[in-house]
Amino acid sequence: MKHLASTALSLALTAAPAAAHYGMIIPSDNMVSQEDGRSVDLTLSFSHPFEGRGMVLEMPAAFTVTHEGEETSLLDQLSETEVMGEPGYEMTYDLARPGTYVFAMTPEPYWEPEEDAFITHYTKTYVSTYGDDEGWDTELGLKTEIVPLSKPFALWSGNVFQGIVKLDGEAVPNAEVEVEYYDEEGDAEAPSDLMITQTIKADENGVFTYAVPTSGWWGFAALNTAEEPMRHEGEDKAHELGAVIWVHFEEWDD
Amino acid sequence: MRVPLALIAGLAVVPAAAHDLRVFAFVEGETVNVEAKFSTGRLPVRGEVRVLDASETLIETHEIDPDGVTSFPLVPGARDEGLMIEVEIGDDGHSDYWLLTPEDIARGQDGS
Repeated sequence: MKHLASTALSLALTAAPAAAHYGMIIPSDNMVSQEDGRSVDLTLSFSHPFEGRGMVLEMPAAFTVTHEGEETSLLDQLSETEVMGEPGYEMTYDLARPGTYVFAMTPEPYWEPEEDAFITHYTKTYVSTYGDDEGWDTELGLKTEIVPLSKPFALWSGNVFQGIVKLDGEAVPNAEVEVEYYDEEGDAEAPSDLMITQTIKADENGVFTYAVPTSGWWGFAALNTAEEPMRHEGEDKAHELGAVIWVHFEEWDD
Repeated sequence: MRVPLALIAGLAVVPAAAHDLRVFAFVEGETVNVEAKFSTGRLPVRGEVRVLDASETLIETHEIDPDGVTSFPLVPGARDEGLMIEVEIGDDGHSDYWLLTPEDIARGQDGS
């Protein structure tokens, strides 16, 4: 009896969500050469990337591309799709010139009853085109943002990624950063829930460092709480502000 | 018609190194514009732009414009086959290319 009870408890706990929510922008390629073509496909979602569990992404409040200092809204070019079994968005973007294109999404605040809080993940990713990396360290001036210190593409697996966590344009000392792998093939295993989402802290200058163990897409989410709460059913609720950046690491092949 | 893949594959092995040259070309109406810069962002002060057709036959050459953009009229018939634009800087091996596909040319002429 004791054994059965503990098994049931174990199963119930196995089903509990362990990983973090992530706003996601995943391009079909983040280093587009002239031989690859002249466009990139983009997929937007709100998901648990390691576990492959989707969540509903409403039409974002903003979706932009920034290139050579010029920001353009792409909101009206998004079409509905399904990502990890839940609604998301997609589009194809024509890449007219060399350089770095920064795609950024500001979602509508997401009410998460389990956390009794709203969540807004300011999400971005960088795409280099035609062998030109100019603009790789672009800061968009988002409400909260990870500004890359490492080039956010052209990285080998095993390289470190460094960035500065900013909130309202200022570095956030000791900011907490969650790191999670996008398990596209569904074959990654974590020996502990603690290793699905790894948590690190920035230093006193808001700079964090993380070395990835394998190639693929990795999401970095710096989490802060907004000074202003949001109202839900007549009550003030906390508003989590996430600065999310998606970075691809290439497999070392010798 | 697309530029032969063999031509693309042959040129795609050009190594990219530190201070490498980066070349980009685009069409505006009946004009070809060729941009060349080093990975540092600096502009080459001298060099040669070579224009080849799809069968790798040299059509014409131009001295690079030190302002960073070299412009010349679109070669007649290029819209059907595309063009290969090669840029070589000095004698130290800095070179790169851009493949102007028929689609690139059509986009630049039509604004499509």
